Amino acid sequence: MMPAAIEIHHLSKVFRRRRSLRQLFPGAPPKPRETWALRDISLQVPRGMIFGLLGPNGAGKTTLLKILSCLILPNEGEARVGGYDTVQEDTAIKRVLGFVSSDERSFYWRLTGRENLQFFGTLYEIQGRELSDRIAYLLKRLDLPEQADKPFGDYSSGMKQRLAVARALLHDPPILLLDEPTRSLDPISAKHLRRFIGEELNGREGKTLLLATHNLQEAEQLCQKAAVLSGGRVLGEGSVEELPAWGRGKEGYVLVLTGLPFLPDGLCDGLTQTPLSGGRLRVAGDFGRDGEELTRLLGEVVRKGGRVISCTRVEPSLQEVFDRIEGETP
Amino acid sequence: MNKLRTLLAFFRKDLLEEMSYRTAFLMQIGGIVLTVSLWYLIARFLRPPEGAIPDFPGVPYFAYLLVGIAFYHYLGSALSSFATKLRGEQLTGTLEAMLMTPTPIPVIILSSALWDFFMTSVRVVLYLVLGAFFGLQLRFDSLLAFFLILFLTILAFSGIGILSAAFILYLKRGDPINFLISSASALFGGVFIPAQALPHSLGEVGRFLPITYALSGIRKSLLAGTRLPDLVPEVSALVVFVLILVPLGTAGFSLAVRKAREEGSLAQY
Repeated sequence: MMPAAIEIHHLSKVFRRRRSLRQLFPGAPPKPRETWALRDISLQVPRGMIFGLLGPNGAGKTTLLKILSCLILPNEGEARVGGYDTVQEDTAIKRVLGFVSSDERSFYWRLTGRENLQFFGTLYEIQGRELSDRIAYLLKRLDLPEQADKPFGDYSSGMKQRLAVARALLHDPPILLLDEPTRSLDPISAKHLRRFIGEELNGREGKTLLLATHNLQEAEQLCQKAAVLSGGRVLGEGSVEELPAWGRGKEGYVLVLTGLPFLPDGLCDGLTQTPLSGGRLRVAGDFGRDGEELTRLLGEVVRKGGRVISCTRVEPSLQEVFDRIEGETP
Repeated sequence: MNKLRTLLAFFRKDLLEEMSYRTAFLMQIGGIVLTVSLWYLIARFLRPPEGAIPDFPGVPYFAYLLVGIAFYHYLGSALSSFATKLRGEQLTGTLEAMLMTPTPIPVIILSSALWDFFMTSVRVVLYLVLGAFFGLQLRFDSLLAFFLILFLTILAFSGIGILSAAFILYLKRGDPINFLISSASALFGGVFIPAQALPHSLGEVGRFLPITYALSGIRKSLLAGTRLPDLVPEVSALVVFVLILVPLGTAGFSLAVRKAREEGSLAQY
């Protein structure tokens, strides 16, 4: 059986803070010296899959990606990328791995896009004609040939991000790590990049992608499987179709009503009511997933002489999903 | 071959960046012209008595001073360039992108300093050419010895420079090596005044600094035309420094990389 593209077994990482000079003096406020970034993480990313790594800021996603790209050493456990150990075989891993971050600063701003790719291509051990052909091919695929000879500093955010993808693909790695690649992009650029990731990199080329994101829709759109990380732990893992239901006990709705200044007693528990102009009332809150609570509320509103102007289902934020999963995790 | 290509890639990248700051480059040249003029005037004003420079009878103080300060720049480059480049790449965020590539970290650090050494060489040549206008007379009959000593000098200084970069990598700032070594070298290494002119036994401190042997050898070859067989003491001392400092710097740097990977601070600043 072919091993998974990425295998993580009982991985833990604790960051230990160095004692500052101030803390050597008596009476200095004590600071926690240890922060657990990852605790006993185990995951398998099969070859050819887009696997989502979901979590709020500080969940440990970037730390995990940096361990996989050999920038950080774990304290416990083991991680293998393309069959290579992240601690012992870092050079072999870097030949089969590409990394896309959302950090615009990781390029030389006074150099052109092409010059940047030429420099990093040499560091990826590609030379001469092979490198120039590869750069031309990638610039074309990422829709950048017109801007290739302009300074990187003149690029828009979308172009910068596309160049970051081009750099990660210079050595044509079979595995890619993407750390919130659409974070700084406008909706249209983000959509184009998602399409490229899904259709081209994964669909056409069969690359394995580990995508760290806190965007639930992005994960739903791109990933086949996902794991939810919070506080350095894996809270849940499974098919992305199951993702919206994870930890979700209720459904969120926003109602706009008229004819009632406020909801009658007994109907408003746990709901937020905001009076709007024109005698309208905005009601927001969670309702049962089976529609029973919502139907009862709407029926009561109509019975009391009110009218429903709109009823909009609201996706819970990923943070809410995380909070609920966390609340349900023993 | 790959390492040579990496060196050239760094050189090309730094050249392209430097060319985008044309004014700064021109101002550097203006600065060199003024500095050489200043040294000439200081040397003329001080006029040390005959025999004040024991190893170089008949060599004017301006020539002694100019060669000393010009080649002292290599020490400055070695001490600062590895650490400064590393810190610069940390600050601009490009270090992390480089560390994601299969190119080994020591190759990245060595290559990043190549441009600084090249520019130092350009500056040294400019100093010497300008010095010639002020009466500096160089001997070119011992160039083999000169280049051998220069090569060993750069290697020995680089050992200290790499150790200095290790401090930056781990501590992020507050490199304690740079300031101490450069000041001690300027004072005791015979850059401005011969060790014999220092009070009491202070001149003996220079024996423990590579710059003493580097400047002695370079001055002997360039100012007195001394041949390689007569420069064996300087060459041997520099070889010993290279054998100690390069492995020490490399080991210190490897340790710093390991500690930074443990702490997750490799690309932090």
